Amino acid sequence: MIGNLGQKAAGWLVNIAIAMTALRTNLMRSILTTLGVMIGVFAVTLAVAVGSGAQISVMQSINALGSNMALIFPQPDSEGSRRGFDRGRLTMRDARAIEKQINGITDIAPQLRSSIQLVVAGRNASTSAIGITPGYGKVSNLVAESGRFISEADVRSAARVVVLGPTVARKLFGDFDPVGETLRINRAPFKVVGITESKGSSFGNDNDDIALIPISTMRQRFSGDALAGPDDLQVLFVGFQDGVSLPQAKREMTRLLRERYRVRGKDINPFTIRTTEEFMKESAQVTGIFQIVLVAIASISLLVGGIGIMNIMLVSVTERTREIGLRMALGARRSDIRNQFLVEAAVLCVIGGAMGLILAIAGGTALTVYADFPVPIGVGVGIGAILFSAFIGLLFGGYPAVRASRLSPIEALRSE
Amino acid sequence: MTAMNRPAEIPKAMTLVKTENLVKNYVLGGETVRAVDGVSLSIDHGEYVAIMGASGSGKSTFMNMIGCLDIPTSGDVRIDGIATSERDGDALAELRNQKIGFVFQQFNLLARTTALDNVAVPLIYAGLNGEQRKAKAKAKLEDMGLGDRLDHSPAKLSGGQQQRVAIARALVTEPVILLADEPTGALDSKTSEDIMQIFQSLNEQGITIIVVTHESEIADHAKRRIEFRDGKVIEDTTVKKRRKVSR
Repeated sequence: MIGNLGQKAAGWLVNIAIAMTALRTNLMRSILTTLGVMIGVFAVTLAVAVGSGAQISVMQSINALGSNMALIFPQPDSEGSRRGFDRGRLTMRDARAIEKQINGITDIAPQLRSSIQLVVAGRNASTSAIGITPGYGKVSNLVAESGRFISEADVRSAARVVVLGPTVARKLFGDFDPVGETLRINRAPFKVVGITESKGSSFGNDNDDIALIPISTMRQRFSGDALAGPDDLQVLFVGFQDGVSLPQAKREMTRLLRERYRVRGKDINPFTIRTTEEFMKESAQVTGIFQIVLVAIASISLLVGGIGIMNIMLVSVTERTREIGLRMALGARRSDIRNQFLVEAAVLCVIGGAMGLILAIAGGTALTVYADFPVPIGVGVGIGAILFSAFIGLLFGGYPAVRASRLSPIEALRSE
Repeated sequence: MTAMNRPAEIPKAMTLVKTENLVKNYVLGGETVRAVDGVSLSIDHGEYVAIMGASGSGKSTFMNMIGCLDIPTSGDVRIDGIATSERDGDALAELRNQKIGFVFQQFNLLARTTALDNVAVPLIYAGLNGEQRKAKAKAKLEDMGLGDRLDHSPAKLSGGQQQRVAIARALVTEPVILLADEPTGALDSKTSEDIMQIFQSLNEQGITIIVVTHESEIADHAKRRIEFRDGKVIEDTTVKKRRKVSR
């Protein structure tokens, strides 16, 4: 048994040696054929990697929001807007009720949002301001890198203080640390009390292009008539402890809010609750489809490369008909001839695949470095690419190889 | 199974090649051509046979069937007691590999492949490992006086040298029959004589040789002449005294 296996392995080694000789004989042709597979494997590998990169990038963005939380908006959910609720409501009292009655909450972050203009000695910047409570920092995993965060006292006294995102700080103050400086927001003087740590960007949005002020200050100065009542919120983040079931928490919050707004029977909720878990699932779906489409398009180039292999192998079989006849005369079985050409096709494809993989790694690295987009090409993808190219070789080399093996020895020998 | 004990096998089956009512038809342009028309003959171990005839006489077709390269339309070929019509493709490949050595008019060496590797090709299909292949091929090339040409590709060898590489390749699996189709057809007369001398000494060592030729001078080396015309044997003579090879 072992001797037999050894003999078989030796037979394959011989086939590889024969294939290498044949490929070297037609070097230019071999290189050009390899090119097709190389481009195909490059495209497919990069497509797979970009797809997973997109997935990772989306997950990072969602994690930047805060890992385990629910977002509540006063807008009616999608069904509701069709049924005539133009506007829902969400108030500070609702937020407190949720905090009190739902289990597993770490903190809540009620928010008001508005676009503002910041001015400091000759420079200005517009950004989105978020009116927050200290809970925002905990729910969103956001801390002050220098200075301090918005405090409970700031909220109570509607203090004119602001915590800047790094992007805004750089725009207004350059490299100078602005903590303690005064700037004007829509003409009112505010004191800079802190700079947040950087949160990078997600979905092309700069997470650092923000200004945080106390929610009470926001309500007094910038929200005005945009709100239905003095207690209304635009957004509420609810942070949950690890291990809390978000779907269940969502059901409980929905029931609570429906009771508070006396939504009856099948009426549609005048509010929308989304959880980070849902975001993750949805974006996994979207990026999954994105990846499938990408890989499908890339596969076309691999298919074309495979057809190139088949074409060249058919030419090779025709050209070497006499050699095939000779080998048969010298004792080659049909399977020997078939394997010889299969191995030749597989060797072409594996060389092309390896080059395509190297190219994909280079391209992926370039994307990561220059476009700040993660393109992970792991060992698995690498091995997969090589195996897949060998498979392409066997698939497209199969027909020419079988054709070669079916030749009649004497007719093959007689061919010119 | 090696060359050493072959002589002991000879008495077991004196007849090496036996054909019975061998027929081969070809269809050409809708017309059936009978290339070999009911040939029955036998060739014994150790014979040196020349098969002669004009082109189209069926001599090459006959030899291709003996060499298991072509399948008879009807009738049977027995090689060393083995009925070839009962064997499948793989068994015939093994038969060609183990029992038959081929020498062709155009040498049929693999281009851009060294003499050594060319000679080693049949041993690949015999399942020998690299070292064994190399050793055997080298020995055969040395027998043919090409010990100093092992690494030469066919393009760097003369016609006579190429044909000697081909003979080494035919003999490397220690076959019982050497089939040569116009072996000197592409060579000048001096080189042809050299090749015929090699054939003669191989025959003296006990190898059965069947040469297809249309040249009388080549056929004169053989002990037996079989003449083909229109697919039939018209003459089968055994000469007592072989023509001397000029030294």
